[in-house]
Amino acid sequence: MSEAQPATQRTVRVWDLAVRIGHWLLASSILVAWLTRHAPGPWHERVGYASLAIVAARVTWGWCGSTHARFRDFVRSPSNTLSYTRTLLEGCERRYLGHNPLGGWMILALLTTTILVGASGWLYTTDRYWGVEWVERLHGTLMTYYWFWSPRMLLASSMRRCDIARISWRRCFMAGKESTAHDGLDDGGREGALS
Amino acid sequence: MKIVTHTVVTHTAALALVVSAEAFATGLATCDSGPQESWQPQAKLEQMLKEKGWQVRRIKIDGGCYEVYALNEKGERVEAYFHPKTLEPVPTKAK
Repeated sequence: MSEAQPATQRTVRVWDLAVRIGHWLLASSILVAWLTRHAPGPWHERVGYASLAIVAARVTWGWCGSTHARFRDFVRSPSNTLSYTRTLLEGCERRYLGHNPLGGWMILALLTTTILVGASGWLYTTDRYWGVEWVERLHGTLMTYYWFWSPRMLLASSMRRCDIARISWRRCFMAGKESTAHDGLDDGGREGALS
Repeated sequence: MKIVTHTVVTHTAALALVVSAEAFATGLATCDSGPQESWQPQAKLEQMLKEKGWQVRRIKIDGGCYEVYALNEKGERVEAYFHPKTLEPVPTKAK
């Protein structure tokens, strides 16, 4: 065959089963919590505690999970993130197999928000903080973060056609003229980046 | 440009959802109570409940009722509704 390779698509599994299950469990527990926010009965509190448990598991997995699940794979320095953002705005950003630097910070924000929303929700069930206005306001205000987070993630997925929300859970990329440069990335290196 | 439009649309939709969700009543109870000028003052309700031994934390308006967060005379957490004209308790959906 000729040496000029046609542009081909390859798929690589990036997110492990635990990350995928955790993602959907957290997303559905947040949705159910929102739907039951005024409902009588125990479900709002139950899914709230469930979401805290999911976050605890995810944080643990961030230390001992598979390559792209680990914090050290996707938490990058502010200066690194800033330069990534600059290239993103210029439209020539580096591509990552796992989370990109902005996505990494978004994940940290999501985990932190969930902890704070869960903690303030729990606080509201204690005799001492029952009915206390600032606790309820904190709970409700922090929670609005999810409204900005979900469309943003859907947007990122539709832009890239291959992100975390994809049901196939595979990162796809064009392996065209730079195909040799992509070899060896299947297992996701420390950086896991597609330049 | 398309991306910017997309972002604006999704964020506006999200914001509209948040705002409209907060504007609606919780649906736990409703009171046919007319304009607020004809209501009895919140302070009167609070005084009444304090005399019953309640520790009133907060009074809000929900569905045309006064919504009270308090610890009752037994020290239990309660979220109770009162009609703003009569200050009578309004039954809510069972917790």
